[in-house]
Amino acid sequence: MSKTNQLENINRSRKSYIIYKSSKGFDLYTDFSKKIVLNNRNIFRFLNQKIPTKKFKETDLFIGFFGYELLNSLIGVKVPQQRDIKFPKGIFYKPEKKISLNNKLIYNPKIKINFKKKFKINIDSQHYKKIFDKFKKKIKSGETYQIKICTKYKMKSKIDPLDLFCRLSHTNLAPEAFMIKDENYSIISCSPENLITKIGPMVTTKPIAGTVKKSKKMTKNKALKYFRNNLKETKEHNMILDMERSDMSRICKVGSVRLVKEKVVEEYKDLFHYVSLIKGELKKKVKNIDIIRAMMPGGSVIGCPKISTLNLLNKQEKENRNIYTGSFGYIKFNGDLKFNIIIRSILSFKNISEISVASGVVVDSNSRHEFNENYIKAKALIDLFK
Amino acid sequence: MIYVIDHNDSFTHNVVHQFSLFDKVECDNYNNVNRLKLRQAKVIIFSPGPGNPKNYPSTSKIYHRYKGKKKIIGVCLGFQQILFCEGAEIVEQNKIYHGYQSPVKVINKNSIFKKNKIFKVGRYHSLKLKEPFKINNFDITMRCLESKVAMAFENKKDNIYGFQFHPESFLTNNGNLLIKKILST
Repeated sequence: MSKTNQLENINRSRKSYIIYKSSKGFDLYTDFSKKIVLNNRNIFRFLNQKIPTKKFKETDLFIGFFGYELLNSLIGVKVPQQRDIKFPKGIFYKPEKKISLNNKLIYNPKIKINFKKKFKINIDSQHYKKIFDKFKKKIKSGETYQIKICTKYKMKSKIDPLDLFCRLSHTNLAPEAFMIKDENYSIISCSPENLITKIGPMVTTKPIAGTVKKSKKMTKNKALKYFRNNLKETKEHNMILDMERSDMSRICKVGSVRLVKEKVVEEYKDLFHYVSLIKGELKKKVKNIDIIRAMMPGGSVIGCPKISTLNLLNKQEKENRNIYTGSFGYIKFNGDLKFNIIIRSILSFKNISEISVASGVVVDSNSRHEFNENYIKAKALIDLFK
Repeated sequence: MIYVIDHNDSFTHNVVHQFSLFDKVECDNYNNVNRLKLRQAKVIIFSPGPGNPKNYPSTSKIYHRYKGKKKIIGVCLGFQQILFCEGAEIVEQNKIYHGYQSPVKVINKNSIFKKNKIFKVGRYHSLKLKEPFKINNFDITMRCLESKVAMAFENKKDNIYGFQFHPESFLTNNGNLLIKKILST
């Protein structure tokens, strides 16, 4: 049986499954023997559990996600009462089967869904400007240095998640892309950003700040020049680097936290990203829960400094972020971790699809520009609903 | 031991790692300061942080209590906190510096650093010291070459030092040397 058929068969079997980008293609995890729905109380037990690791198999891992609110509560930041669709705060699965797929996911849906409705945004440009101006004042007074305003697009419709994911991966083969299909919800994401990779005692984080679209005129060298000459992008990137260095320093040995790659351009199928790589060696006795609390939620999508900026955001936002700016990834039974930042994602729950996007307010950003930036980010996903 | 008072900042642990190169460092949140550690510390550091010095009265108390008794070093908000405790005004500036690399110059011949030396530093500050500023024993020792904003002070008599920029930032050249020199005077 070919691999494509395998994918179609699993999809048709109505089994839950997860697809996660690997270095060579995609890994598909299924046959889940456990499903753990997380809340503010059981998360500590989940993260602190000791798992015997006699013979380590490649399915010996928990794979799933932490939602935004759960990550706030882990670091003691309160999220006030918000409009809420009662989506779980986090879910992890124990797979019993893993299949490797190549980069070309092929799937021919039997039924084509017609999307009749349109996505609606929760904040219009006037309202956005009000929030923007308020946060700009907070930057002037030093309460935050950079803050990301989130807008949300929603539409009611049935979807075929695998179809959306395959089409998305054809146009944008993102290094942290993933998809979850479960009985009552699905998530599709083309996240580009790795937040934590832990192998043995070594941890890395790979923040992205700065993205441009590829074109005939925009080559890799031009992209580098563009980023270097763009003071706003450079300052935002600098700030994130110092913040991530500090987060890593909480859990790493003194002197081990190093900027391995400083502001380089990475080339993807349609985009160039301005990225850096920070590496460190964990202190002895650091547990997974310490790593997660130090690093999450990922600073590059929140703003800086993290705690006061989170408080400002949470006071402002009337709607639960759910998965947006949470983290998806796995915890292997041998202690290794890999987690991304959940952005550029579609959450589909109770037949409603939601897409959240955010862009940054720094002192010299412009309200209309950032509002449009948000729309451009969302549009890549909204366009799938055709 | 060096005791770092953290003002909930996202750069504090860079400060902790930098000072850890030279001595044992303890770090606690400003809401949760340990009196015993304060008493045992040889040096007290006020970390960077969001907001205005007037939001941190407990740190001001620590300053007044230990001024002249222990070496005190302030970074960014910490720098402003010390000056604020000495009666200076901390005000908003027209141009804001977040994630900025600027050249600073040592401008005072009494500084422990060499006069006229110019080097690049990383900055993250909305607020600045309002000048003219005149307080006994406090000398402004460095300024931003472009905006002339005060970037460092020294009070050798009471062993108090402050940096408006971030010596721990990757944007600051030779930040470790700077700290080494401050700790050894």
